[in-house]
Amino acid sequence: MGGKTGFSLLCLLGPFFALWALFWLVPLGMGIDLSLQSPDFRPVHRDAVLPENAPVSSSLTFLDWRTPQEEVREDVPRYVGLENFEKAIADSKFHKALSNTVIYVFGSIFVILPLAFALAVNLHALARVPRGVLVFLLMIPGLALPGVLSTLFYLFFHGRTGALNQYLVIPLGFDPVNWMMDPNFIMPSLIMQAVWRWTGLVTLFFLCGLEAIPRWQFEVARIEGVGPWMRMRSILFPGVRHLAVFAAVFLVVDGFAAFSGAYNLLGGSGGIQDSGLLLVTYVYQVAFPGGSGRFDFPGAAAMSLLVAPVTAFLLFLLLQARKTFFPR
Amino acid sequence: MRRVPSFLLLGVAVLVCLYPFAWMFLSSFKTNKEIYQPTLFFPSDYEWDSYAVLWSGEYLPFLDYFLHSILVSGGQALLATFVTAAAGFAFSKMSFRGSGWLFGVAILIILVPKQALAVPLFEWMAWLGWQGNLWSLALPGVASGLGVIFFTQVFRKVPDELIDLAKVEGLSPVRTFVALLPLIAPALMTFCFLHFILSWQEHLLPLLLLDDENLTLPIALAKLRDSSHRIPEAVGMAAATLSLIPVVFLFGLCFRKMKTALVELSLS
Repeated sequence: MGGKTGFSLLCLLGPFFALWALFWLVPLGMGIDLSLQSPDFRPVHRDAVLPENAPVSSSLTFLDWRTPQEEVREDVPRYVGLENFEKAIADSKFHKALSNTVIYVFGSIFVILPLAFALAVNLHALARVPRGVLVFLLMIPGLALPGVLSTLFYLFFHGRTGALNQYLVIPLGFDPVNWMMDPNFIMPSLIMQAVWRWTGLVTLFFLCGLEAIPRWQFEVARIEGVGPWMRMRSILFPGVRHLAVFAAVFLVVDGFAAFSGAYNLLGGSGGIQDSGLLLVTYVYQVAFPGGSGRFDFPGAAAMSLLVAPVTAFLLFLLLQARKTFFPR
Repeated sequence: MRRVPSFLLLGVAVLVCLYPFAWMFLSSFKTNKEIYQPTLFFPSDYEWDSYAVLWSGEYLPFLDYFLHSILVSGGQALLATFVTAAAGFAFSKMSFRGSGWLFGVAILIILVPKQALAVPLFEWMAWLGWQGNLWSLALPGVASGLGVIFFTQVFRKVPDELIDLAKVEGLSPVRTFVALLPLIAPALMTFCFLHFILSWQEHLLPLLLLDDENLTLPIALAKLRDSSHRIPEAVGMAAATLSLIPVVFLFGLCFRKMKTALVELSLS
């Protein structure tokens, strides 16, 4: 013990915590500081000029932020307390974005987990080589850029003549759905995109969980003549328990950070009636409004910080759910 | 006969996962008119024009952006793997005061994702004067909360006897950690690969942080598909196809190790 161990600890934990402090704690502190300020007050280093073409929807060529803006308003108080938080909580568009995101996250989890489990169980019954090949192929959408997925969704799946309408909706005898314009279908579209993207990865997780189950358990089940439901409940579920929780946490974290897919699909807007507005998109809209809008960095910062308790609450719920469904 | 529904389910799933990407590849040879007919699979003729356009950098310096993406994602993934593995080792194999508390603080990162901190991060980078260069994009992602959790779990599986043995041999904890790395190679590769994908797909931070000449692939793709429809769709499809190649290649390399690591992890 003593100095030597202390030095080792520093070597092992130092790099992580240095980066943690530099790129998470400091921005977090700045975010808290920013969220307490008035959007009308502009300290010198934050001065920026919005160029003619706003960045939000069309071109992504970014602003030159170092252009100084001379007009510093002296008459406005710098700190306004919790005003930005109150504004965010009262903002109906923020509610919409929040509830959309929660629907998006839970919608995708509730589709992905059972689907991936079913796929993994069926894959598990195959021989080793085809099993590996099929999982590999199922993973491909998860490897592609979300922007590519959105483009494919836009060009291939959607539209009156798109694959979804041609191969699924019309053969089933329904009217073709206008996926991108009908507010009832934007959210399902986004969820479908998430399902398409992540089911393969979660299937891989589950398959590895199933492969880790010792063979004798299946033997015993076969000899005892255990029915499929009991087999599922007492052998397969426990096998994937940990990985299911890990996958759910991953999906919650990723869902709250979701930006690229909706951004590409809806061009930075929230879609018709904001029915596809997700949190990060809205924060981005508030921070960098298009056209004549005013940058509202403090407002955006306050909203970002409000996300943390929601995520924490959802993760807490998930862990509680695990205890209920999988005691032990 | 019992297996028929099973094959049907798997077949449909694989078809849904694969067909659009095959369509995407073939669309890089199509004209706009052909692309707007999603049910058309094969192009009328095969010209590699759209790839040549990307290569020559007519619309944007695609090759540069491609290289940036590889550098940023590769660098970030490697750094993140070793940094979080070291932290995971310290948390699971060394006992020190405040370790539980420190662990809790470390994984708080998960609750406030870096995308949510984009605005202050952007200001902070501007203040540091790093804004615009590739480091400003690569470094923030290195401290990963998921990584710390993952490697803490991984090192818990390593028998304590090995640590004791190293102690008897007089190895310092840092040397012990380095000596253990080959043992957890599958886990290292798995995390490295997953982190590579996440960084490869990052869209918001490069949009905010990078200069125009330093952009990465997701933004290049978005630019190729901007609303003015000036650029043929086939070029976007070609770029999308190219953007998939490095990740699929890496995935092929890591696939088996990844399965080993995941199987081991689920045995707890």
